[in-house]
Amino acid sequence: MKFINLLKKELSELINAQMIFGLVISLSLFFIMGNVMQSVTDELKEDSTHPKVNICDLDDTELTKDLISSLKESCEKVNIISVQGENYAAPMNGSDIKGYVVIPKGFTESVEKGEKSELISVNKVKSASMFSSLTGGTDGTIALINSFVTSRLAEQKGLSQDDLSTLESPVTITENTVVADKSAKISVSSVLGKITMQNMLLPIIILVLIMMTSQSLIASISNEKIDKTLETLLSTPVSRGTVITAKMLAAAIVAMINAGVMMIGFSAYSKGMTSAITSDLPGDVSVSDAIGGLTSTNDAFRQLGLSLGAFDYVLVGVQLFVTIMICLALSIILGALVNDSKSAQTMLLPIMMMVMIPWFVSMFTDVNALPTVPKLIVNAIPFTHTFTAIPNLMFGNMKEFWTGFVYQLIIFAVVMFFALKLFKSDKILTMSLNFGQKSRFRKSSKTTED
Amino acid sequence: MANVLKVKELSKQYSKVLAADKVSFEIGEGEIFALIGPNGAGKTTTIRMISTLLTPTSGDAVVAGYSIKKNPEKVRENITYLPDEAGAYKQMTGIKYLRFMAGLFVSDLDRINACVDRAKNICGLGDRLNDKIGSYSRGMIRKLLLARAVMTKPKLAILDEPTSGLDVLNAIEIRKMIRKLAEEEGMSFLLSSHNMLEIEFVSDRVGIISKGHLMVTGRTDELKERYSAPNLEEVFERVVKENEVH
Repeated sequence: MKFINLLKKELSELINAQMIFGLVISLSLFFIMGNVMQSVTDELKEDSTHPKVNICDLDDTELTKDLISSLKESCEKVNIISVQGENYAAPMNGSDIKGYVVIPKGFTESVEKGEKSELISVNKVKSASMFSSLTGGTDGTIALINSFVTSRLAEQKGLSQDDLSTLESPVTITENTVVADKSAKISVSSVLGKITMQNMLLPIIILVLIMMTSQSLIASISNEKIDKTLETLLSTPVSRGTVITAKMLAAAIVAMINAGVMMIGFSAYSKGMTSAITSDLPGDVSVSDAIGGLTSTNDAFRQLGLSLGAFDYVLVGVQLFVTIMICLALSIILGALVNDSKSAQTMLLPIMMMVMIPWFVSMFTDVNALPTVPKLIVNAIPFTHTFTAIPNLMFGNMKEFWTGFVYQLIIFAVVMFFALKLFKSDKILTMSLNFGQKSRFRKSSKTTED
Repeated sequence: MANVLKVKELSKQYSKVLAADKVSFEIGEGEIFALIGPNGAGKTTTIRMISTLLTPTSGDAVVAGYSIKKNPEKVRENITYLPDEAGAYKQMTGIKYLRFMAGLFVSDLDRINACVDRAKNICGLGDRLNDKIGSYSRGMIRKLLLARAVMTKPKLAILDEPTSGLDVLNAIEIRKMIRKLAEEEGMSFLLSSHNMLEIEFVSDRVGIISKGHLMVTGRTDELKERYSAPNLEEVFERVVKENEVH
């Protein structure tokens, strides 16, 4: 009953209108971002499935007329554009044309002579965003023109379509990827692309969970100290263990709520981003090819043993729980050191560093492949093992997984021991860190001696 | 008169400072005892040890038959502590705060309601109890906290500077309330204050503490007579000076 009373109080402090408002805003942002990304990827998909050709024929010969007729056969819409001199911007003003190809004068002559002919590509840049260059460009049109001219040249030289095909692509590459002792017919870039897309979500959830949990508990303990309610609370007939358990549980519940909301929001965002990318498209051209060679690779993943099973997810969940417990134990110690609201913010810094370092390292490199000293340093950070858990399980590095897990358990036991010892000792009331603020420290000491 | 509190040579050593040095005194049932002393004398340290917030380096104190060292939880069931400059949870309403605090002392809902009703009568905040504590003045918070400290009818209420932050009329009201609770309900009080006039009016006995030593204890009249002083303020001055000379 007393514990429930304490837990309700802790939760009512942490779950307030401000927090709910923040969550709603975050969720809305993710949904908006997801919709925006979906519109971009839908546009990519549309461009690939229904290519639009914008072309300006300055040569105006039989060959170029045949070329345009050929384009009309393979594309849904061919838009003929006229250009005055070199004023290439004029056709784009006030229209939704993003790019067009100009067939300059002398094009046919060059083709007929068997020389390299020239095409002018005009593309409009509206923003510096990553995907802005992927939609509505002229690459597709140029590829089609190249194909047409190649056919004409082949005809001139008396080559058959088979000869042409062999010349265009003399070597056929069958890409195989090996993971541990298994192999599958898939390119490394496709495997890594899919892993990146799949694993993008978890590190962000881990980051949010750890930061939210730490912030909640540090704030909970420091507010009690700053508002001078801690002494009153600790003088009531409730054990300090109960007080701290209620605080830890409330912080964990709030962290889970935050993580849940982030997960829903991020899933919506990822869905928007990947819906078009991962879908299989008819024909040879797919949007996924356009943005990194990611294809539907579920079968290959199963073949390579990269698909995680239910037990793997249980292990990830248990490790995430241990991570939260470490974070809570650390936060008790850091919260106890707080003396004012300014130092409460500073106290979050060590945890932030312990999260950011492994996050960045694991994002850019394989922690297990680092040289010994950097590897030891990165592995000494307990949160590293949370970030490397899924890759370790995927690639069958079970020794690394279990070593990391046992290390986290040991760290949790040690930190929790010191946290409880601190909370149950006089130090919870007398200890404080005042970064160079001598006057405050004197004041604090005086209070304890009064 | 049975003792509610018996302090036996209670000492507290911080790394370099001996904050309390073999402090001993008793408080009887229904008695109001006040610890007075200059800043840094060891009043708050002594009070915090009795409240089980700090662990004594040596010595012991027995509250309602329970040792602060051996049975701190039992001690906390029999005391309430109001720290100096204490705050309350700003996001809670006054009534919710009282209910929350009552719930930490008793589990039965009827007893919780009884405690809250009692606190409502004592604090006199009326409808403002439905407002968030963040909107209260310092005086209102102090009244709320005082009501909280006595609502559970503890055997010993420990009040550090009970009237700090209150205006004269409110301070008088609080002093009368303390006297009434001691006389009519037999509640014992351990007070700490800088306000000698207040102590002279409200307490039955006082203890003068300086540099961690409890110099002298006794009834106000006795001390005034012993030190040939017209009031407690001068008694205090003479005791402290005498201590400095020796």
